[in-house]
Amino acid sequence: MTIELAYILISIFLFLSGLFGVIIRKNLITLLVSTELMLNGVNLSFVSMDRIVGGVEGQIFALFVLTVAAAEVAVGLGLVVAIFRLRGYEGSSEITQLRD
Amino acid sequence: MEAVLIVLLPLLSFLIVGLFGRRIGDLASAIITVLGSIFAFLLSIPASTKALSSPFSVPLYEFIPLGNYTLRLGLYFDALSSLTASLVCFIATLIFIYSIGYMQNLFGLWTYKFYAYLSFFLFSMLMIVLSDNLLGMFFGWEGVGLASYLLIGYFHQQKYATNSAFEAFVMNRIGDWLYLFGIFVVFYLFGSLNLLDIFGKVNTVDASLLGLAVLLLFGGAVGKSGQFPLHTWLPNAMAGPTPVSALLHSSTMVAAGVYMVARLYPIFESAPQSLKVVAVIGGLTALFASLAATSHTDIKKIIAFSTMSQLGLMFLALGIGDKSSAMFHLTTHAFFKALLFLAAGSIIHAFHHHAHDIYEVGGLKKYMPLTYASFFVGALALAGIFPFSGFWSKDLIIGSAYEASFSLGLFVSFVSFLTAYYIFREGFVMFYGEERHKKHFEEEPQESPSIMLIPMLILAVGSLVVGFFEGWYMSVLGDKKEIHLDVAISSVVIALAGIGIAYLVFVKKVLDPEKLYQSLKPMHTTFKEQFFTEKLYHKILAGGYMKTSKALFTAGDRFIIDGFINLTNFIYFRVVKFLWIKLDVFTVDLFVNGVAKLSFRFGKRASLIQTGFLNNYVAFLFLGLVVLIAIIIYFME
Repeated sequence: MTIELAYILISIFLFLSGLFGVIIRKNLITLLVSTELMLNGVNLSFVSMDRIVGGVEGQIFALFVLTVAAAEVAVGLGLVVAIFRLRGYEGSSEITQLRD
Repeated sequence: MEAVLIVLLPLLSFLIVGLFGRRIGDLASAIITVLGSIFAFLLSIPASTKALSSPFSVPLYEFIPLGNYTLRLGLYFDALSSLTASLVCFIATLIFIYSIGYMQNLFGLWTYKFYAYLSFFLFSMLMIVLSDNLLGMFFGWEGVGLASYLLIGYFHQQKYATNSAFEAFVMNRIGDWLYLFGIFVVFYLFGSLNLLDIFGKVNTVDASLLGLAVLLLFGGAVGKSGQFPLHTWLPNAMAGPTPVSALLHSSTMVAAGVYMVARLYPIFESAPQSLKVVAVIGGLTALFASLAATSHTDIKKIIAFSTMSQLGLMFLALGIGDKSSAMFHLTTHAFFKALLFLAAGSIIHAFHHHAHDIYEVGGLKKYMPLTYASFFVGALALAGIFPFSGFWSKDLIIGSAYEASFSLGLFVSFVSFLTAYYIFREGFVMFYGEERHKKHFEEEPQESPSIMLIPMLILAVGSLVVGFFEGWYMSVLGDKKEIHLDVAISSVVIALAGIGIAYLVFVKKVLDPEKLYQSLKPMHTTFKEQFFTEKLYHKILAGGYMKTSKALFTAGDRFIIDGFINLTNFIYFRVVKFLWIKLDVFTVDLFVNGVAKLSFRFGKRASLIQTGFLNNYVAFLFLGLVVLIAIIIYFME
């Protein structure tokens, strides 16, 4: 087993554990953290794929993903804070409707 | 070219008043109407002088080009047409002015319509008089029919007026129908409708067909001039306002029939057998109408019957070949008949349009001296007393009647005796004797306003002096007639006898009119009912037609046609209901409803997925993604 395959397996594990977190957890902040986990798993796979193929595009893409993820976290947290202020809770099971 | 304006000015005033009458008001409409006729009259004078020296025609418009012949509209001015046009315009102008006073109490109630109709009436009559072909004449012919219908039925809230208008229209329609067929025959014979073309070829065509054409054309004149047997509309036309009656009876409408025969006289002359029919019908009507006039008591109907009788005399004169005296009598008659009607209208106006029977009024001489004078001038002219205009014209007719045969002359003398009697009976009853109106009306009658009196006075002067133009008129129409002294004296004596009898009976009461009425009741009723012709037409012809229609309606329409339709309806309904149940309810509805039910059930199940939980959605998203990727990978290999 080469080191690259190990990285790929780790990235799959990271992605799936993030997905598992998104599916089963109710707290919105936990959901955001889990999404980050998925993103990082994807980043890891990009970089390790680069290593296999010997290119640089995956690394550049990973950098972009990091940037976008930072922005997304800022927006997501803002939304969570707004929902909390408005409704007084932050569990996703309570927010089942888009309207009031 | 200004001659065209004679016809166009009344048309123009009709259009202005008809279209804008509501905006400009009734008085302005009346003034425009009067102006239209005044200018038409003023223009007709130079046209007449020109036409007297040399006849001329004015082409107007190419109506229908037909292969080798084109139907044209145009005007033809010769002595006959231009003088008649002037007469028509003159009398119409006076009557229009009079009508301003007569209709004043109706101003503000859409009276502009009345003036629009009057202008149209004048325009149509001028079309008849001046047209240079039979088609244009027919156009005017129909126009006066329409205008008279509108004007007789002007008081359209009254059932009687609308019925009378309807009767006038139907009777005229019969005449128009004959006239139209006459035109067809003329066109078949001559290949042209132009009067001058026709006159030039009169002797070259088949005489028997020409006789037929003449009879058909005369049928039109019978309808329009209210001659027997199409006469019943004329007395009933008195339902219209009095200026209308005056216009109808003096210069337009009824004069159209006589004028048409005089206009087409070259054709009539070449069919002597048919001309005899003209004479017989004219004579019959003259006697018949004057007998009816002796027994009626309606103020206007007596004068209406008198018109019928005078027109009959004109037709008689035409029938025995004396066209110019007929036309001269038409001219003088227009003056004194308009005068008599206007005087009658003045009396009716004095009683606020409520008095209609001569026995409702009496002793009016004191209250309405000018109306009294006008009426008696008209009556003297009608009776034919020297030197009033009626004397000159009637004398010509009586003279030619005696020339034709002695018995005919006696007949005409008898008619003029009756004429003198009935018109003075009316005059004496209305203006002398006890003041019967005090019983019927509270207010005292007053003399009419001067706007009504002035036209009457002008007409009175006209009735007095027109007779003196006899020699000139005759020479203009190319006919020379001498006054027969014996005929003149005898006819004046006869007329005086008629007046004398009326005076003795109705003023001096030598014989009590009431007793006389009782003893002669059957005769009186016969005369009054016009020998039951009106009853015959109304009850038997019209009523029978109505009954037959009703019977046919019940038998044919209600039973056969409606039965068939209802049966079809019933069968169709049954079939449709059967098909509906079998096809629609059991097949189509089942299918449609089934589909709907299925969709409902499926939708309910499917909607369970929509929980709203974010986690579920993400799980579904992932599942879907996995499936998609699996498919893509599967197909990539």
